[in-house]
Amino acid sequence: MRIKVFRRIAQILTVLLIIAIPVLNKKGITLVTGTLYSLAIDGIWITDPLSGLQVMLSTLSADSALLLSMLIPIILAFVFGRVFCGWMCPQNTISEFFDYISRKIPPLPPFSKGGMGGLQIFNITPSAKPRYAIMILLLALAPLLGFPVANLISAPGIISVQVSKYFYEGVVGLEIGLIGLIVIFEIFLLRRVWCNYVCPVGGFLGLFRLGKTMKVIYTEDAEHVCGGCLECAKACQLGLNPMEGKIYPLCHNCGECIVICEKIKDKGKPLRFSF
Amino acid sequence: MPLIGYSECFPYFQETILSRKLLRPPGALSEIDFIAKCIRCGKCTQVCPYRSIRIASLMDGLTIMGTPFIKAREIPCYLCMKCPPVCPSGALDRNLKHKKDVRMGAALINRKECLAWQGTICRSCYQSCPIFDEAIRLDSELRPFIDKKKCVGCGICENVCPVEPAAIIVKAK
Repeated sequence: MRIKVFRRIAQILTVLLIIAIPVLNKKGITLVTGTLYSLAIDGIWITDPLSGLQVMLSTLSADSALLLSMLIPIILAFVFGRVFCGWMCPQNTISEFFDYISRKIPPLPPFSKGGMGGLQIFNITPSAKPRYAIMILLLALAPLLGFPVANLISAPGIISVQVSKYFYEGVVGLEIGLIGLIVIFEIFLLRRVWCNYVCPVGGFLGLFRLGKTMKVIYTEDAEHVCGGCLECAKACQLGLNPMEGKIYPLCHNCGECIVICEKIKDKGKPLRFSF
Repeated sequence: MPLIGYSECFPYFQETILSRKLLRPPGALSEIDFIAKCIRCGKCTQVCPYRSIRIASLMDGLTIMGTPFIKAREIPCYLCMKCPPVCPSGALDRNLKHKKDVRMGAALINRKECLAWQGTICRSCYQSCPIFDEAIRLDSELRPFIDKKKCVGCGICENVCPVEPAAIIVKAK
């Protein structure tokens, strides 16, 4: 259960950070500034690598400060995998919440084909290909159109910028509607469609993987006995089965499969995080 | 200066970008370079102590959605120079330190509406100009005129103009 507690704390802290930054900055406390596109923590700059790459592509130049600020998210992805997505991204938090709620509602026709009790009409096997295709298209469009096109659909960026805009201007832009569209799509059409098939931010972070990157591993031997209950696959909102392996780059290391496995088995757990 | 990228290949696209003419924060690159470099993070809006900088929304256009701009008539830029150094991508020139070097645009006087040019005594814009007696000067009959080489485009004159709508407005560069 420790994983779940830590992850919930990380998710809540991220949401609090998004709200606290504009509130504190408005009062003149500028120790931490920025949004999820780019944060500045007392002189340490952290920038969304996808935004940075688009700027470099559309200006055909590299700014050393920008490059340096992209390093922290890239190193984080190399070490821990896509924990930004699974542990911090506010869109994932929102999607996860609504997915949890929609599973609690008994399915009625025509909303009964989505597999494990959801309302979704469609049910397809997860694949990373559509997400890569969208990411490559957006990265090609950025230099062609001359602006960071992928940021038009960067859900975490839009959420944090619009929260900031709300506290400063008292209004939000229409782009916040994207979040509502995602939620409606995910409840009624295709489960967790945004993170699995669309999000260019997650797609790009998924590129930074090595053999040593933190991953969910499944071991079946004398010490680790798996009963084959498949509760881990049911616990995965992204529809992945950690017993089959090959869950990357879609898996964002949220650890829900490990949490449910720990709940069922006291010792000899076949699922765990490993480097 | 960054290369412009391939947006030059799309003259129509470039025209629509340039036709919007938003007043950008101090240190902003030329409009085409600015929208290519700005990652829409909104940091400049957060450090602005006067809340001069706003964030453009989807309704303002896809190309400028999320970019910062200033409505000088409501809140002008007071040239505190806090925003250029926080820009993560260099869309605002981080090395810009002195307010006299800012070139956001230039003020333009509508002489048919300007009180001073119509014979009433008014020195609102002249007295509030931060580049005092350089960007806006008075002629022998105490009528204001603008030195476009000195004007930084902060919009304080547009903000204080007593005429409605303002007889002096800032045209973005």
